[in-house]
Amino acid sequence: MNESDIFKALSDPTRRQIFDKLAQGSQHASALREGMSISQSAMSQHLAVLRQAGLVIEERQGRFVHYEVSSEGIGAVAGWLEKYRAYWPARIDALKTLLKDMDQ
Amino acid sequence: MTNREDEQHRYQDADGERLVQEYRLDATLDKVWRAISIQEFRQQWLPDLDLASPIPLRMVEGREVHYVMREHCPPYLESEVALRIDAATNGGTVLTIVQTVCVPTAAANDDSITFICAA
Repeated sequence: MNESDIFKALSDPTRRQIFDKLAQGSQHASALREGMSISQSAMSQHLAVLRQAGLVIEERQGRFVHYEVSSEGIGAVAGWLEKYRAYWPARIDALKTLLKDMDQ
Repeated sequence: MTNREDEQHRYQDADGERLVQEYRLDATLDKVWRAISIQEFRQQWLPDLDLASPIPLRMVEGREVHYVMREHCPPYLESEVALRIDAATNGGTVLTIVQTVCVPTAAANDDSITFICAA
């Protein structure tokens, strides 16, 4: 799983929207398009990018194609967020020190 | 010793691919603005080393400044961080940090870099 591919995939707002929808519950392709003003082929393209990045898994179920988010994909994004969540408090401490010094 | 997290973060959330944190600062809006937007000050608390560029990506004067962060190791993932300030009710300042995944694209013929970011 390539982290760079993951973030490239998610930096497109439409793909983020698709990923977020699937994160709430796996769906078939047609259901996924509901409420989105994009064509079938655009949807296919976005899903292909998401699959290639390992964020989404495609599964054929009879006549239907079913999509769900992969746990590895969610884990990679969560890990990145976690790192930066822990990063900022120390920066803010340094900012507070600077603000005090700026008084002088 | 009070719990620092409770005291300083009024609200913290990771929303999909977005991190949001709020901090209360005991300083005027004007002073905080200088500290977050002027390179000479900004680099003292947010080092150049952690940024893709020391120049802000975007700025709304007195209100909001955006930078691009860059990791130190491969694949050198980049993200956009928005620093927004609002007056707090008692004369201090609220700083809101919003960080989102972002991938840069180099513009063909000029020196500037255009970034495509998830909103």
